[in-house]
Amino acid sequence: MTTAASLFAAVVILAPAAKAEPAQRIVSLNLCTDELALQLADRDKVVSVSFLANDPSLSTVAEQARGIFVNRGMLEQIVALKPDLVLAHRYASRSTTDGLRRLGYRVVEIESPQSIAATRQQIADVALAMGEVERGKALIATLDARLAALPMTAGRRPTAAIYQPNGYAFGRDSLADAILALAGFDNLAARDGVAGYARLSLESLIANPPDILVIEEGGGDQRSMAQQFLSHPALKDRFPPQARIEVPRRYWLCAGLSVAAAAELLARARVAQ
Amino acid sequence: MTRSFKPVWLALTALCLMLFIVSLLTGPAGLTLDLPFAAWRGDAAARLVLVELRLPRALLGLLVGSSLGLAGAALQGLFRNPLAEPGVIGVSGCAALGAVLVFYSGASLAMPMALPLGGIAGALVAIALLQLLALRDPRLATILLAGVALAALAGALTALALNLSPNPYAVVEIVFWLMGSLADRSLQHVALALPFMAVGWVLMLSGARSLEALTLGEDTAHSLGIGLRSLRLRVVVGAALAVGAGVAVSGAIGFVGLIVPHLLRPFFGHRPAPLLAASWLGGGILTLTADIVVRFLGGDTELRLGVATALVGAPFFFWLVLRGPRSDMRGGT
Repeated sequence: MTTAASLFAAVVILAPAAKAEPAQRIVSLNLCTDELALQLADRDKVVSVSFLANDPSLSTVAEQARGIFVNRGMLEQIVALKPDLVLAHRYASRSTTDGLRRLGYRVVEIESPQSIAATRQQIADVALAMGEVERGKALIATLDARLAALPMTAGRRPTAAIYQPNGYAFGRDSLADAILALAGFDNLAARDGVAGYARLSLESLIANPPDILVIEEGGGDQRSMAQQFLSHPALKDRFPPQARIEVPRRYWLCAGLSVAAAAELLARARVAQ
Repeated sequence: MTRSFKPVWLALTALCLMLFIVSLLTGPAGLTLDLPFAAWRGDAAARLVLVELRLPRALLGLLVGSSLGLAGAALQGLFRNPLAEPGVIGVSGCAALGAVLVFYSGASLAMPMALPLGGIAGALVAIALLQLLALRDPRLATILLAGVALAALAGALTALALNLSPNPYAVVEIVFWLMGSLADRSLQHVALALPFMAVGWVLMLSGARSLEALTLGEDTAHSLGIGLRSLRLRVVVGAALAVGAGVAVSGAIGFVGLIVPHLLRPFFGHRPAPLLAASWLGGGILTLTADIVVRFLGGDTELRLGVATALVGAPFFFWLVLRGPRSDMRGGT
């Protein structure tokens, strides 16, 4: 079943290799495909972006997305746009993408890459599907150049934990872990055995603290329990402002140039310390 | 009469103290017996964990639980309804709604005191409505059914408010408000809720004698010179203060106010006066226990407190319904 599904996905992704024609009416259903679509295609070929694309706190392409028709991933809405390529995330809006396939639309799905290599591969795959192979290569080259230009690590690597609202942390085998390593930090959560994205209790963070706590920018907004949690007195006591680095939330959401942006921000903060 | 209760009081107090200490010693991954010693020796991290994380958690378990236990006993006495419980009759749900509106609108950021006040306002609306209804139609089923409707409405409005909130985390936090949790609360939460709870306890406990007279029926109570209006006011406002402030910092924890008075009633000869104080202690005991259990059962993501209390409370509720109303229950608290 799983093999069949992945085979099918592979076929879908590889099929457009035959026709090199760039897609003319691209509809994106997901925040991360919004970013890829706007970076790889001419703006006028992107017919619609997801409803999150305009939110500057989540989207890295909010500027470019302004004015483009916004969809909420509803099947009817998408069909009315007459797309020749629909970009979606494999684990979101499943009923819509299933429906689009049944109706014969070309759907290309992305995943959430958990390494830099997988990020490059995904950019190449989507560029191929869009018929924009050259732009894909250029985007990967930009990413690699920015990563190569990161300040080098000298001496001891400080430890850091990326602490997310609700007490979740990125552990090993995650893209954020790779970003931390590129920026010259040791990921405390990975060392403590956290894999992927898992809960790291406030207690263990306080009993065994990293040098640096990487938190979401604007964690001062306490309008949810999840964020209020980041200003718990115990956490404040243990991690004064100079032991915190704030990274915008949008940098952690998708695999693309934001990987470089996050690494640059973290590396600069490390050097400044 | 009072003397015969003494062993029960001693046992309840000892149990409560013991659980409070166990709660302080329980971490997210089981018991940590060495923590107090490390803190004593001056280990800053251990001290921080003990004072800023464990202490508020244990205190809130005790205080919120006491409030729910006491409010359950008082409401059962006032409505003369053995199934009246803050969660079942929608008082906790309305308190959660009040707190949600204040919290997610940002009002509690501008003024922290607004959070308990929001919860209290929600609880007060619910209890006052039920009391007005009870005066018109005192049958058992009427109050219960109205309470169930109120609870459903409050739950739906809470979900609606969280859905409409622009905050990306709001929607998933409905679980906290419906099921309750004491994880990662701070001493600030204790300081916010405690004053209101304390006033609520005093008000409810001051109604103990009148509730006792009420067990003989309204007419008899009246002829004994008991001011029913004053009693109603004290229990309604007292329960709203205690439950509202508690729910505002811990979410709605169900069934504590149902189980505790029922378990303790036989020990006190079905007399409301000692039962009120005993339910105060008993609520703390049950909630502390549940909060210790969720830390052991939770695993990676901690179980919500309301899950543990409902797993015990809901079958208990069934049992009460199956057993049917008994004469000693209908009249007494």
